[in-house]
Amino acid sequence: MASAQEIKDRIEAAIPGALADVEDYTGGGDHFRATVTAPAFAGRSRIEQHRLVYEVFGEEVGGAIHALSLKTQAPDEGAASARASGGGESGTGNHTTTR
Amino acid sequence: MSSTDETTDLPMAPGAGREADTPAAPAEDETDGMREAIAKAIADHDVILFMKGTPEAPACGFSARTVAALADLGVPFAAVDILPDPRIRMELSALSNWPTIPQLFAHGELIGGCDIVCEMHESGELENALR
Repeated sequence: MASAQEIKDRIEAAIPGALADVEDYTGGGDHFRATVTAPAFAGRSRIEQHRLVYEVFGEEVGGAIHALSLKTQAPDEGAASARASGGGESGTGNHTTTR
Repeated sequence: MSSTDETTDLPMAPGAGREADTPAAPAEDETDGMREAIAKAIADHDVILFMKGTPEAPACGFSARTVAALADLGVPFAAVDILPDPRIRMELSALSNWPTIPQLFAHGELIGGCDIVCEMHESGELENALR
């Protein structure tokens, strides 16, 4: 069992400069939807971007984390989308240290 | 209306191997045979989807959405149900370096899972990738 906040914190801790919005869309602690913006995504294919995020969780994805639905983008692409580049309003203010 | 022109069977059960080079062998060799069978299936089909369930009866919402995107384009594809044998998923993920199901391959390359396939479908990129 994990919380959306834990998933968010782990992504942001593992990928430098990453901003993640994570939603537990079933409320069960095992199905998550994440939008991740990170400088490391620039110049990489979608496959490579998603792999970078999956690698944060290793075998937990497909195991304890049944589903991690991803939308990834480099900061430039993020600025062009509906989500402002300075976004991350849901949680960036209380980014706590993970255990 | 079936969007699938064929279904691919992997040698998932003893005696189910369709080729003479899939021998009844110790567990380790069987695993190797599974990976080779998956690699061959990917190489042999222009478009192949590894999914939970079948195109007619998907067993997972992500697989269902991926099938729907392919059906919408009318692209023929082969499908492999990964549920009957856990080794299929293990060996597929080891081969593709991709942890989740479904996985769509076109011309031997991993296109992505449900998120990427649906995103590419919405942007219009999917049809070109499958061509």
